[in-house]
Amino acid sequence: MVAVTLSLQLIAWTVIVLVIMRGIPGHRRAVTIGAGIGFALGVAGVLVMYRLLPGRVPLGMIKTALGVSFFFLWTIAVAAIYRSNVRDFPLLRWGWFVDTPLSAWTGAIMAGIVAGSIIACRLPGFDIAAIQLLAFAALALAGALLASAARAVERLLPSLITVTPSALLAAVVALLLFCSSSLLRLDLFSPLSMKVMKGIHDFVHQFMESILIPDHIFIRPAIWGYIGILFGKEVGFWGGMVIWFTPAILVALAIYCEPLPSVAHIRQGAQRRRLLADAIRTQRYRLVIPAVAVVALAAAAYQSSFPSVEYWDPKPLAVTATPAGEILIPKKGEVDLEDGKLHKYLYKRGDKEVRFFVLMTPDGKLTVDLDACAICKPDGYGQAEGTIICYYCKTLIPLDTVGKPGGCNPVPVPFTERADGVHIDGMSLVNNWTRTVQATTRVKEGNK
Amino acid sequence: MAETIIETSGLTRSYGDICALKPLDLVVSEGEWLSVMGHSGSGKSTLLNLVGGLDRPSNGSLRVGGEDLLALSEDGLARFRREFVGIIFQQHHLVPYLTAVENVMLAQYFHSVPDEAEARSALERVGLGHRLKNRPGELSGGEQQRVCIARAIINSPKLLLGDEPTGNLDHSSTVMVMELLKELRAEERFTVVMVTHNQEVAAWGDRTIYLDDGVLVREERMRS
Repeated sequence: MVAVTLSLQLIAWTVIVLVIMRGIPGHRRAVTIGAGIGFALGVAGVLVMYRLLPGRVPLGMIKTALGVSFFFLWTIAVAAIYRSNVRDFPLLRWGWFVDTPLSAWTGAIMAGIVAGSIIACRLPGFDIAAIQLLAFAALALAGALLASAARAVERLLPSLITVTPSALLAAVVALLLFCSSSLLRLDLFSPLSMKVMKGIHDFVHQFMESILIPDHIFIRPAIWGYIGILFGKEVGFWGGMVIWFTPAILVALAIYCEPLPSVAHIRQGAQRRRLLADAIRTQRYRLVIPAVAVVALAAAAYQSSFPSVEYWDPKPLAVTATPAGEILIPKKGEVDLEDGKLHKYLYKRGDKEVRFFVLMTPDGKLTVDLDACAICKPDGYGQAEGTIICYYCKTLIPLDTVGKPGGCNPVPVPFTERADGVHIDGMSLVNNWTRTVQATTRVKEGNK
Repeated sequence: MAETIIETSGLTRSYGDICALKPLDLVVSEGEWLSVMGHSGSGKSTLLNLVGGLDRPSNGSLRVGGEDLLALSEDGLARFRREFVGIIFQQHHLVPYLTAVENVMLAQYFHSVPDEAEARSALERVGLGHRLKNRPGELSGGEQQRVCIARAIINSPKLLLGDEPTGNLDHSSTVMVMELLKELRAEERFTVVMVTHNQEVAAWGDRTIYLDDGVLVREERMRS
């Protein structure tokens, strides 16, 4: 699976180089060399981090770089659509910079560093340092070779396909986001959807619930059913989609809305029409690159929504309580509680069912938590890549923060750790579930 | 001295065992009006099709407007026809469900982009300003042929080919069409190659060549 993902990412990398090359056509050689060097630097950077900070590669840096580039794309896209109508915009007075050695080197190296570091994070961990070094070196070499291959492929592309600076940025950012979306901790789409969902939640909560509804005599309680819809993850998903695709679509629209050249001074009708037809054709072919960006963003959103990562999500084991109401889970029983994996359990008391899990965090402490948080519907958690993930909102929670309350973290359950195992009070477990989880379910389902 | 626009050398076209055009050497100058006469099956239309890039020769060389037509790909040939040649047929070949102006705009569309104002103006030039919205079925033969002329010249071709354009017209319509062509040629300075059976029509040209069984048998220069 890693090989397939790596291949897709390397293909995306080749397309990135190809797009930069076509966007800066006067400096193909600089783009090829710059991209190769940048990619190798990105890979080397991740390797150094692996060696210096084992298990703690600062993915946040890469994620921040991606987020900043996406924000920059948004700015450029808005400026481009503005310029397509008004003709001038200070931010887009970059004609002098577009096809220069400086832009070729800078663009290629920066894209290379980000792409190289993202793709290097996809490499599996190796216990033997020499093998790890070899794998990283092979990846750096592959990236450099593919940058050269992109030069050959670029020559085969129809010359009509040209790239505007804003389309270049859109395609490169979209392809980088595609590369990152296959890695849970670098994925930007799910957090974006989550932010939208939280934003809507907070807005509704603060504005509607706290201020308007209680004071308004005409608003009936039934309206809660409709407000409940706004709390669904679908709203976050579609809101995220709008934010995700808008810049690429704006860039395409900007190209589509660009005014055609003035031909009024040309006397011969056929020549006049020919010039217009050429301009329209050029404009249409310019839309190819924003279309590539849209496809890459769609693929990224798909990867994010349906990740190929296999979550560790064991079937909950049924547990019972002693007559005194205590649940005992042995450390070395049916499962080994200290193996660092998520172990799920199901406790039934009367008509109540409670799902919870036991996990040993990276700092060696056991934690017992409900298989649900205080915010989302209790869809539960899976474990992957040093995190657990909330199935409902796709929020990733680092293993070392599991056991701490708040946010989308699983709700901690009081327990006692003894030599024989973990002791939990059945009654407090059920109360905890009822108090937080079932209340949350009602809100999410609109008081049904 | 006028430049050469058509130059053929040993130009041949065979269909299986039948040789429709035997090795032909021909030079046509830019701006010239050449009439091509001959009996049915003498190779007139074959020559016209070859010169217009509608057909490919079996042998020989053919340069039109500086382009070696034998070296052009199908796309190149289509571009050549689109930008260099205008053709008027005896049977008009107008699209029956489009109006006169739409028929002219269709030629613009295949060339570049349609421009209704320009198409209207072209029809006004050929005296059909009052028949813009009529379909071919509502026009007389002469009027239809004038629509064809507007369609043929709308893209400012360097070479106008006519395949018996007056073959279906009565005398007065024929004279009207020929006068119109002469007028347009003077304005637009295109070269005309016109195939005809009619000696009177051929006489409108600067020069007439006679084909017989695919062979150029005679050439006659008209007195202006």
